[in-house]
Order: sequence, then C-alpha cells, then structure tokens
Amino acid sequence: MSKKVEIVKGSGGFGGPLVIGVNGKKDKVMYVTGGHKPDIVDKICEITGASAVNGFETSVPEDEIMAAVIDCGGTLRCGIYPQKGIPTINIMATGKSGPLRQYITEDIYVSNVDVDQVSVVEEEADAEDATFAAQEVSPDESEKESEQQATYSKDKKIMETRAAQENKSLLTKIGLGAGKVINTFYQAARDAVETMLHTVIPFMGFVALLIGIIQGSGIGDLFANIMSPLAGNIWGLMLIGLICSLPFLSPLLGPGGVIGQVLGTLIGVEIGKGNIPPNLALPALFAINTQNAADFIPVGLGLAEAETKTIEVGVPSVLYSRFLNGVPRVFVAWLASFGLYK
Amino acid sequence: MDFIVKIAEGFINLFQTGADTFIDWMGSIVPLVLMLLIAMNTLIQLIGEKRINKIAQKSAGNPLLRYMVLPFLGSFMLANPMVHSLGRFMPEKYKPSYFASAAQFAHTSNGIFPHINPAELFIFLGVASGIQQLGLPMTDLAIRYLLVGLVMNFIGGWVTDFTTSIVEKQQKVKLSKKVHIDG
Repeated sequence: MSKKVEIVKGSGGFGGPLVIGVNGKKDKVMYVTGGHKPDIVDKICEITGASAVNGFETSVPEDEIMAAVIDCGGTLRCGIYPQKGIPTINIMATGKSGPLRQYITEDIYVSNVDVDQVSVVEEEADAEDATFAAQEVSPDESEKESEQQATYSKDKKIMETRAAQENKSLLTKIGLGAGKVINTFYQAARDAVETMLHTVIPFMGFVALLIGIIQGSGIGDLFANIMSPLAGNIWGLMLIGLICSLPFLSPLLGPGGVIGQVLGTLIGVEIGKGNIPPNLALPALFAINTQNAADFIPVGLGLAEAETKTIEVGVPSVLYSRFLNGVPRVFVAWLASFGLYK
Repeated sequence: MDFIVKIAEGFINLFQTGADTFIDWMGSIVPLVLMLLIAMNTLIQLIGEKRINKIAQKSAGNPLLRYMVLPFLGSFMLANPMVHSLGRFMPEKYKPSYFASAAQFAHTSNGIFPHINPAELFIFLGVASGIQQLGLPMTDLAIRYLLVGLVMNFIGGWVTDFTTSIVEKQQKVKLSKKVHIDG
C-alpha cells in the first residue's frame, strides 16, 4: 500500500530524480500554489497513500510534510522548503535562483514537474528505500550544517588565534579591524554580484526581450491603445488596483511578482513614449502591486513562527485588508504625485 | 525575394530593440544597483542582526512602532524574505498585520534601496525606466514612493488588525494578544 513515487524533472527543469513515499509521521503532501490543486498532487497521493493539504489555507507541522508542491517562478518559495529539508516539487521550470538558491540542490528539489514526470517505483527494495530515503534527508542536513560550522569556526579561529597569539598592540588591533571590514566589503560584493547575476540580470533579459517584441512588432501600438486610457488617468489606475486586489484573484497574481513587473514595464514603456504623464508613475506603482505578496501569506507567517490557528485566520484577513487598502493606496499616491516632474 | 528580406529584417529588429534596451540597462542600472547592493550588504553585516532583533522585541506593544518603524528598519536590515521572521516577536493576533505591512515595505522602499528585494525590482524599475527615458530623475519618484509607502503601509497594517478581528469572529477563534518568546 505504501508505494513510492519517483519524480523526475520535466524538460528544462532542474534537479531530481526524487524518490519519496510515506514515512512514519511524514504522510502529507502540502501544496502552496495560490489555491488551485495541481494534478500531480492527486497522482502522488494516489500512489503513496499520502493525504493532500492546501498549504495556503492551513499549515502543517514541518515534521509531517512528506513533500511540498509549489509554483514559484524563482523568488523565494523554491528555496524555503529545501532549506527546511523538505523535498520540494516545483511545477514551474525554476532552477537554482532567488535569495535562497544555495539550498536548492538536486537531491531535494525538482522542477517543471507535470503528471508525466511522476511514476511508481517498483516495490522490491521498498524497505531499503524507506530507510535510505529517511537517512538521505537527515545526514544531508547535518552535513550541510557541519560544513557551514566548519568554515565558520575555521574563519573565526584564524582571527581568534591571531588575536590571542600576539599581545594586541595598537597596530595589530587596527590590522585586525581593517581586515575584518575589508573582508566584509569583499563578501558583500560577492553576494551582490551573485544576486545580480542570478536574479536581476536574467529578469532584465526577459523584460528587455518583452520590450523588444512589444515595440518592434507593432503590438506596442495596440497596447498603447488599451493601456493609455487605462493607465493614463487616475480612474483607470484605481480600476487596475481594484482588480489586482480582489481577494480571489490576488493570490493568483502574486507569484514572483511577475505580473506586477510585466505591468510595470508596459506602463514604463508608455510613459517613455509620452502617452502617459510622468507624474502618474507614482500611483501606477501602487496600482500594479495591490496584490503584493498575497500568495506568500502562509509562508511569511510561517517565517514569523505563527501558530496554525493564526495562519488560518491570517490568510483571509490579509487578503481582505489588501482589498480594503488597494484603491485608497492608489488614490493617496495620486494626491502625492502633484508637483512631481512639473 | 524582397518580401522575405523584409520579414527577416523585421524579425531581427524585434531582438535588436530588445538588445538595445538590455545593453542600455546594463550600462546604467546594473552598475548603480550593484554599488548600492554592495554598500548595503556591508552596512547590514557591520550592524548585525542581533540589534534589529532587540528593536523588534521592544516594538510589539505600539502600533506605530509595529507597523511603521519596525517593518521599515527590518526590511532595510534583513531584506525581503527574512524581514518576515521578525514577526515572531509579535503576539499571534498581530502577526498577520505585521506581515501585511512588512511585505509592502519590501516594495515601497525598494526604489531607493534595491537590496531589499532585488528579485522583484522591476515593479519599480519597469515604471521608472520610462521616467529615465524622458530624461527625468528617478530619485524623485523613488523618494515619493518610499514616503507614501511609509504612511500607507502603516495604515495597511492597522486595517489588518480590524480584518483579523472580523475573521476571528467568522471562524470563532480568539488569537492571543500576549507576547511569548521562547528564545
């Protein structure tokens, strides 16, 4: 009855193959996909006998989660569950990206998964597999931890030994201090370049291509005809804000902020062409983002170590408050835009 | 034959326009954002996470601190995902409100401090690139974005207190208003 599934990456996906099955308390497949239930969740549950839980409506203790199914385009969620040691299945084709990309590894993460990528594992080595799978997660984690600790303590030891060895003369103190500051700068630069390379520049490429296609093909004029009357005055912007903040729509528009970023780019193009007055850029920034993080509520509350009860109350509560706030935000931003670029 | 050449030219033109846009950004936005990122990352490292945690503990009692000062400082110091972790110092009842406010600060401050949320920078940059194209300074927009955000995100957090009370009644549960910190 407790069969295992093997999940391989789809074309263009990353990671895997993962072999997962029910293991003791870990018998829940949690899906955090803005409300709808992907087909693969049903298939995985059918094969393994696990139960499906909508992570968007309720939360599950981490030690009961067998696997997490997400639809993250590369901002945050794709790293959060791997960071916690939970096998993660992404239905989007996202690879290693986002601020938590270092946790996204082949042995715990697989992406671009559809129903066809999920298959039953032959039962023969069931017991072996189970222990193996169970072990696989934990030593991995501890390995990572010990690795991190090792480098950390190494790093510190050099400093410490140096600091302890010599009778800290003023010169040594200055040397140690300067070394620390310079190291911090250097590490900061490394992190920043990493972020630019893996997160900002890829998105720039995507947006630039989009702009090229819009402007070069003449679709731009079509867009201008639709967007300018809509985004070119405060009522249209408030309408955009209203639509984006509808509680049943906002979680679907949220993932990765992609919709907001594309809308922002379209409006930016029209501002650049002079079809939309530049001072409306301010209310536009608020209008395209009234759905801000609506898909992220359970995860964010999870980071705040909220209780299950709180998450169940918090999700609808924040969705309602986004809805109540959305249009007034746009309106206040419009008031604040008087005198901008005049 | 001419027709085919025209089509091919038009096809390449799509990508040429995109490429021009891209290299323009690589020359203007990328270096600026990179320098800002490095400076901010360093500053954050030097100040340290412990201090902001201390501020968080003291901020739980007062709405103004809770939904304006703390999420603003927190998003600046801890950046996008981790700013939400400060919510653990809040009583259960206020966690949704803190989230609502902090998530918005991850955008409204992003115009001036792109290190907060580089992955979603184009919400701001997409709009602002139009401003740049007109030869106007982006900073004016970024500052007003931040200031309006400061006020409206606070109101957003506060309104969430009320919606939380409503949902509490709907679901017939009561969330604790007391802080409990276990470390």
